[in-house]
Amino acid sequence: MRAGYKLFGFLAVFYAVVDVVYWLMGGEALGITAIGLSGGLALTIGFYFYTNDKRMGLLPSDNLEGEIADLAGELGFFSPHSWWPLPLALSACAMGLGLIIGWWLTVIALGSLIVSIIGFTTEYEKPGLTSQH
Amino acid sequence: MTTFAEPTITSPNYSAPKSKGQSKGRLFVKWITSTDHKTIGYLYLITSFIWFLIAGVLALVLRAELARPGLQFLSTEQYNQIFTMHGTVMLLMFATPLFVGFANVIMPLQIGAADVAFPRLNMLSYWLYLFGGLMAFGGFLSPGGAASFGWTAYAPLASSQYSPGIGGDLWVIGLAVSGLGTILGGVNFITTIFTMRAPGMTMFRMSIFTWNVLLTSILVLLAFPPLAAAFLALESDRLFGSHIFDSANGGAMLWQHLFWFFGHPEVYILALPFFGIASEILPVFSRKPIFGYKGLIAATIGIAALSVSVWAHHMYASGQVLLPFFSFMTFLIGVPTGVKFFNWIGTMWGGSLTFETPMLFVMGFLVTFLFGGLTGIILASPPLDFAVSASYFVVAHFHYVLFGTVVFAMFGGFYFWWPKMTGRMLNERLGKIHFWTLFFGFHLTFLVQHWLGIKGMPRRYADYLGTDGFTTLNTISTIGSFLLGLSMIPYVVNVWISRKSPKVMVDDPWGYGASLEWATSCPPPRHNFTSIPRIRSERPAFDLHYPHMAHTDGGH
Repeated sequence: MRAGYKLFGFLAVFYAVVDVVYWLMGGEALGITAIGLSGGLALTIGFYFYTNDKRMGLLPSDNLEGEIADLAGELGFFSPHSWWPLPLALSACAMGLGLIIGWWLTVIALGSLIVSIIGFTTEYEKPGLTSQH
Repeated sequence: MTTFAEPTITSPNYSAPKSKGQSKGRLFVKWITSTDHKTIGYLYLITSFIWFLIAGVLALVLRAELARPGLQFLSTEQYNQIFTMHGTVMLLMFATPLFVGFANVIMPLQIGAADVAFPRLNMLSYWLYLFGGLMAFGGFLSPGGAASFGWTAYAPLASSQYSPGIGGDLWVIGLAVSGLGTILGGVNFITTIFTMRAPGMTMFRMSIFTWNVLLTSILVLLAFPPLAAAFLALESDRLFGSHIFDSANGGAMLWQHLFWFFGHPEVYILALPFFGIASEILPVFSRKPIFGYKGLIAATIGIAALSVSVWAHHMYASGQVLLPFFSFMTFLIGVPTGVKFFNWIGTMWGGSLTFETPMLFVMGFLVTFLFGGLTGIILASPPLDFAVSASYFVVAHFHYVLFGTVVFAMFGGFYFWWPKMTGRMLNERLGKIHFWTLFFGFHLTFLVQHWLGIKGMPRRYADYLGTDGFTTLNTISTIGSFLLGLSMIPYVVNVWISRKSPKVMVDDPWGYGASLEWATSCPPPRHNFTSIPRIRSERPAFDLHYPHMAHTDGGH
């Protein structure tokens, strides 16, 4: 995490400097905005890493003396396989196609998109299973 | 010497994959519902390679048309459609997803993770990429044909007034959808690298490839959202008659700025992961650790930082950009690239080199990319750029840069990691035939195009006159391109016969593998490791296999 906020912090400062230089040299508005937003993105991610680093302290993966056994036990939950990405992507594509082909397709796709999003996000939220993971 | 632990993974419905007696249907369902980063990575690699072959065939059609003066078998409109789709497919459906494929298969192995951070999101990215690509390419089946405004889609040419027809709409929407998949992939990789490294795998013990995947993913986050925004705005112009890219209010320049603010970081998105592959292969076949590990990382960060400040060097000829700023920045970004070359040569210096096929392809990469880099220095200088802008000199330059990095390093990576991915080796003799036909075919095709450009042949023209004096060089270029096309045959044969080659029984068939993927079986089990060695340097697998030479870095 420490390396993370240093990396993104460096990028944020660098983009800010480049942005000011570009501005002072007479750059156009879009470039100033775009470089500035890039700096904002780096700053946001860097700040997130910074607060996490302060909160969580040294993680085993950042520990130079870390042992594999430090993370022994349950590593986390990994979906074994899932049907949901396929209908979700198909609905998103149909939404796009609807713009070209006709609004009727967009309406149908919106329905299937909502169903897919609910299915995707609640796939492992079954009542009674929560205590197991 | 090493510590072993068995992390457990909760998977309610998971049972060990049945290797025997699986019907084709079950295998199909297993692949399309997979959340395994390796399977998804293979899907990405296979799909992008098929797109590479399709776009390669399109390129051969273009070269065949250009072999002699006169229009032989294409109309100018067909020619425009084919070069547009050649560029689009090669950049956004072959090279970018190829990065996602390699990163998916290799990166979690190299950091000792069980999977990526968001396995289902990973599969969603793949589907968005596949369907988006099919949508954009599906324009060929529409009444007016596919998009024909070039892969850069400059305004106002890409407007509904100058490029009517559903093919252009399919192109814009398809690429927006597939771009969404790429953004999600980038988020996934960054999260994985920051949160799922094995204990002891500190940031400065990660392999160079993983570092490059990290910086590439950051560039994806910077570059693809502006592109998606530009595409949606363009589609709003085309469908709903908005005037965002209307030339009357500066829309032409607005599009160029937005497009190249994506387009230039995109070049580094295509280059950095393949630099990473070269940096993985070189130490193994030089029997030395990578030279200047931290210097290489610093160079990668430098390239990532500078890459957002050079976009307008694609727009020198517009006469409306800040030439001193962009020219200086473009020269500056050549420095970290030079540092990388220095480190690659330093890695080989004094090593005991052997030239197996992966190493040959890396040699091909170094030579080809160096040529492309040198013509890049020429093009970075505005007075020289004005003379050759939009000519075949530029075409030759970017093919040297992109083919040099993406294709040579891709085949290097395929030959290098084939045993890790499939458990079988590719044939060395066929690999060498493949390399030399590819190498000579490529250079025969594109070297002469530098002179074509200097003589004044413009890019994107379907035809030229016999009296222009372009005929001989064009014929040579076309012959080269067919040799290049033929070089795919030994590769495909090699892949086909490798089904029957003996199983690789060791973790590291090359003998000097450094990063963690060489410390697990070929191919790795479902969650990658049955045991992970203790990590005390950037070469954990080497330390495991050669304990008497192992050193601890004691922290950087």
